[in-house]
Amino acid sequence: MATGKEIRVALAGNPNAGKSSLFNVLTGSHQRVGNFPGVTIEKHEGYIDYHGARITVVDLPGTYSLTPYSPEEIVTRRYIIDEKPDVVVNVVEGTNLERNLLLTSQLMEMEVELLVALNMFDEVEEKGISIDFNQLEKLLGCHIVPTSARKQQGIDALLDHIVSISDGSIEISKNKMTFSPVVESSVEKIAGLLRHERELDSSNHRWMAVKLLENDREVYSQVRQYPIWVKVELALQEAITECDRLHDTDPEALITEDRYAFVRGAMQECVRQPKASRATVSDYIDMVVLNRVLGLPVFFVVVWAIFQLTFTLGAPLMDGLDFVFSLISRSLRPVLPNAVLRSILVDGVIGGVGSVLVFLPNIVLLFIGLSFLEASGYMARAAFVIDKVMHRFGLHGKSFIPMVTGFGCSIPAMMATRTLKSRSDRLATLMTIPFMSCGAKLPVYVLLTGAFFPPAMAANVMFGIYFLGIAVGLWTAWMLKSTVLKSDSEPFVMELPPYRWPTLASVIFQARMKAVMYLKKAGTLILVAVIAIWAASNFPHSRELDAELASETARIENTVSNPDLKKGELEKLSSRVQAEQLEYSLTGRSGKLIEPLIRPLGFDWRIGISLVTGVVAKEVVVSTLGTIFSIGSTDQGSGGLSSILRNSPGFSRATALSLMVFVLLYIPCLASLGVMKKEVGSWRPVLIYTGYVLAIAWIASFITYRIALLTL
Amino acid sequence: MKLSELKAGDRAEVTSVGSETAVRRRLMDMGLIRGTELEVLRFAPLGDPIEIGYKGLHLTMRLKEAEGITVVKLPEQKHPQETTGSSLPGKRFFRRG
Repeated sequence: MATGKEIRVALAGNPNAGKSSLFNVLTGSHQRVGNFPGVTIEKHEGYIDYHGARITVVDLPGTYSLTPYSPEEIVTRRYIIDEKPDVVVNVVEGTNLERNLLLTSQLMEMEVELLVALNMFDEVEEKGISIDFNQLEKLLGCHIVPTSARKQQGIDALLDHIVSISDGSIEISKNKMTFSPVVESSVEKIAGLLRHERELDSSNHRWMAVKLLENDREVYSQVRQYPIWVKVELALQEAITECDRLHDTDPEALITEDRYAFVRGAMQECVRQPKASRATVSDYIDMVVLNRVLGLPVFFVVVWAIFQLTFTLGAPLMDGLDFVFSLISRSLRPVLPNAVLRSILVDGVIGGVGSVLVFLPNIVLLFIGLSFLEASGYMARAAFVIDKVMHRFGLHGKSFIPMVTGFGCSIPAMMATRTLKSRSDRLATLMTIPFMSCGAKLPVYVLLTGAFFPPAMAANVMFGIYFLGIAVGLWTAWMLKSTVLKSDSEPFVMELPPYRWPTLASVIFQARMKAVMYLKKAGTLILVAVIAIWAASNFPHSRELDAELASETARIENTVSNPDLKKGELEKLSSRVQAEQLEYSLTGRSGKLIEPLIRPLGFDWRIGISLVTGVVAKEVVVSTLGTIFSIGSTDQGSGGLSSILRNSPGFSRATALSLMVFVLLYIPCLASLGVMKKEVGSWRPVLIYTGYVLAIAWIASFITYRIALLTL
Repeated sequence: MKLSELKAGDRAEVTSVGSETAVRRRLMDMGLIRGTELEVLRFAPLGDPIEIGYKGLHLTMRLKEAEGITVVKLPEQKHPQETTGSSLPGKRFFRRG
């Protein structure tokens, strides 16, 4: 065998057929994840070197069919037609052959080198199903290799076949699926017409004819440009009339029925399965998990467990990362002599990297949990249980888990919307998530409720804030789904796959992929944004304030002798200068610039600055308020900020309420905007969304402030 | 009658799939074609969606989607070898509310 030979293989198959597991076994660690052109469908690509040949493998999205109705199916189709892989490996679930072979029958029409991997063969044997491989190969016109990705069996045989098929050393006579006479004659006729159209950029006329009879809008628009269309349209009309007359149905349905008849025939000829009327383990589990009474409680326990896994288990890891970064900063600070360089490196770069990495534990943990739910089969059931509630707001049952995750952190929550297949469902869910009050907003609420409300009332205020977030979020989803996202809503037709134990390798693989994707795509963007905001908060730098700091420091050093007193004086001085520098900077100026805009909400320029810096991360609102309001204040000790705020003129209970509402609703943090951009695919919707949340936040805060002024 | 009008535990045969284009095609691709014998396994705890079983497959859909499927109700089952789930113990407990 020649070395350096390249073989391109595409994996196609039903969801849950074990395609991804097979892909992982085949390619091991040689993988990369990208997107298919123009759509946000993940494209997993990998390679394996086998007997001197480099076999690149593309894992196509899981599909039941090859219609033009779902992006997954369009992607699969286009890839096979345009990229012409050397071998298409059709992964079929051995225990569910009848339905899986429907896709096989469609792939047979596509003039590709087809190889069937009959996966989960271990389960097939366990169930006592016997398959006449020779006969089935003859009927399908392609080789069949039994595999078990889980037990890593049949992999070498599969690779051997791939190599042999691509170099033509084994051949098998192709078989053609024959449809009912009425369909068959129309197919022949239309294919004949297409053959005469020399301009037509396709050689597979039979496939196109079948697709035209199936009402395929993609092929329709392709053929319609040519003069031959006039004749084709007549032939199609004729086919419709004939199908109706002879079979009381339309060509599309008849073709599907013919396909199933073919598959059923093949099954009867080649497959013997014991009469399985016994309830399976899956059925017993579902009797509890989907039970009328227990279904919802089980669902909530699972969601709770995922939330706990992500955030409770993630918290110490997050703190650990935080600690490591502050350690690095602290040890770097004295080493760097130049103040500007120090600030850039320590506060800008290390702070920026830290703010990206800090989300990583949450992301990894959440995706370990989610891929476990997905691979075990519970995710589909969760969607089934809660769909009715979500559907009321135009969302999908699967929207629930990402939304709940949003209460912890928007970043992993937004990434979790990938479990939603339809783009419009995913966008609507994505835009709901920032309203789910995340963990970073909590310090703001704690500070303000603690400062302005008695403990008995604080909890109610907090609850009200969370509730308002949920209400606005669901309202947003409902509004989006009944206007701009009205079209192409995914019909809820979903299989409940049998329960399976996910393999550890695949769960870890998923989590690793998400982590890498976050760091590469969103991470870089977040890093740039964080550094930009840092720069805006530090420049321009006032030299006069620097000079004042120097002279005042010298004065205190010389005049105050008591070391404790001296330390206190110096700290007060440095925090005052820091606050004044912030006021002098771009960020500070923009705070003042927006003051007229936020005045009606009860905010002055100081709150304005906090809101600007809070765009980086919501907890920064608290630290900025701390810096700015401490100017000239004599308050010291713990709980200082609360009392400072309480005693600030112009900072009332109404202001506090209004500010909480604003922080809840206004621009989600930069990191989540970065992830949102990544998930949506372009900036435009993200910018429109940002405008929308600002408007909503302003209106809600205005109403809150005015009502609070009147009633409190 | 419509699939959506059946009760949990009912068995029926599909006579036509007449939902909106994309839904219809999806249902047919999932093997729900004329002549398919199915059993209503259950409704979700809140009454919607519905879960049906046929040919070893468990399929769920919203009642709105199920309205497009016309079925003929089959008499209480006599051939226990047909379809999965047909002998699920306790299935009678799942009734639509």
